[in-house]
Amino acid sequence: MPAKVLLIDDDSDFRAAVKSLLESHGYDVLEASSGHDGLRMVLEHKPDAILVDIMMETTVEGYGVTYALKYQDEYASFRNTPLFMISSIEESPDERFPMSAEVEMIRPDRYLTKPLDIPKFLGLLEKALGAAKGVVV
Amino acid sequence: MSGPVVPPAVVVIDDDYAIRLSCGKILTKMGLRAESFEDGARGLEGVAKLKPDMVVVDLKMPGISGMEVLSRVHEIDPQIVIVVITGYATIDTAVQAMKCGAYDFLPKPFSPDELRLIVNRGLERRRLGLESQRHEVERAMLTRRFVTFVAHQLRTPLVAVHQYLNVMKHLDQSPAKEHEWIARCLTRIEELQNLIADWLTLARVEGGAMLKERIRVDLGQTILDILKAYQETAAAERVSLEAGVAESSLYVLGDRNCLSVLFDNLITNAIKYNKPGGKVTVSGAVADGEVVIGVADTGVGIPEKYRPFLFDEFFRVKDESAKQTAGTGLGLHISKRIVSEMGGTIRVESQAGEGSVFWVRLPAAEDPAAGIGSQNDAGAETDSNGR
Repeated sequence: MPAKVLLIDDDSDFRAAVKSLLESHGYDVLEASSGHDGLRMVLEHKPDAILVDIMMETTVEGYGVTYALKYQDEYASFRNTPLFMISSIEESPDERFPMSAEVEMIRPDRYLTKPLDIPKFLGLLEKALGAAKGVVV
Repeated sequence: MSGPVVPPAVVVIDDDYAIRLSCGKILTKMGLRAESFEDGARGLEGVAKLKPDMVVVDLKMPGISGMEVLSRVHEIDPQIVIVVITGYATIDTAVQAMKCGAYDFLPKPFSPDELRLIVNRGLERRRLGLESQRHEVERAMLTRRFVTFVAHQLRTPLVAVHQYLNVMKHLDQSPAKEHEWIARCLTRIEELQNLIADWLTLARVEGGAMLKERIRVDLGQTILDILKAYQETAAAERVSLEAGVAESSLYVLGDRNCLSVLFDNLITNAIKYNKPGGKVTVSGAVADGEVVIGVADTGVGIPEKYRPFLFDEFFRVKDESAKQTAGTGLGLHISKRIVSEMGGTIRVESQAGEGSVFWVRLPAAEDPAAGIGSQNDAGAETDSNGR
């Protein structure tokens, strides 16, 4: 069964480009245009990996999603689901968001800048999905 | 801020036991925390540990000199106020100490009053120094946040285009899909162009263009021109445009371009945030020396909780249900700036489900037809005709 990837981003063009890319590499892609919808879809569709944009112009933005996934009981079963944070900000996230609790959630290999470097992104995604499977088994 | 108020701390560094003792007593009596040390090395250790507000240091001591203590204290915290004590008060040593960063100097022998006076002044200086430092930090943070935000606004469309092209290069797709993506790229580039244009307008308004250029502008004409220009766009959205203004009836003094931008923004918003079959009505009147223009739409209305922020820079309604409409988030902010620069006001009335009206009030200029000798567009011509 192909792996399901949930893409949470408020820019429909960015989603369209990444969706085509992932589908052509054999993934199933789910889209959400806000953090709110994204969280709902996590519960509903149980994705194998999640990509979330940090700065979205919606009420629940990237950090809200990350925080919920890490700390809220409802999402406890998704704590091992690979989560990638994406942003068009070039600096490392701990420089841009000097909030210790939040930064802890971001692993350097899970922080990606836009536009996505395609080979690097596909490599990290594949690796993360493989590792997550290892944890479950 | 809460918590107990901690009294300011003063460190005294002097090899003279009597000075340390008397200074300690006086300072403690002033309600300050005081600590004294007998030489420069211990004094610096104390300063590093206590982080005092002020240091009183003897210039002439065995070991590390007072002058060196001075610069080393400022390495620890440049905001610490330093007063030097000198037993051989000459202008030269005092000047040298001040050059090295001392706030003031105290010639030996000094009276308790002299010490109190100089300590109080020094602490006031410390307070002001910290305050301005705090302001600077705040300003730097605001600037930084603003720059980050602007960078994000500019990058968003650029990133979308970049990602499309990246994926197009990586994948073999159908020509139809490539066509669709190219069209999207063009739209996003246009968005970027609009953002830059809005920015330049804002810079122009903030640069005081409105004050420099004040010519008589026929607002009725301006609005009719804009409505005509958007006839097609509105028809495509199935929105009808209605003009309740006439030429040569509404005059204001201002910059013609800025006034066009103002009503262009309001009218395009009224079209964009309307619904199919809806209507945009622009009305105008002169009342009590003011030109009052209303731009009314029949859209979804603006929820009350967002109305206070509507004219803020980059504010956009963030409802999950909000119509995804292209926009820079600068239009209404620019509009408000233009109106305020002209000494007018702008406000919004909105009814959920029925629509919104933006009311602009601007000081009216005289009607040239009434012709009482004020300068206007035609003024120069009239003059050359030798009226």
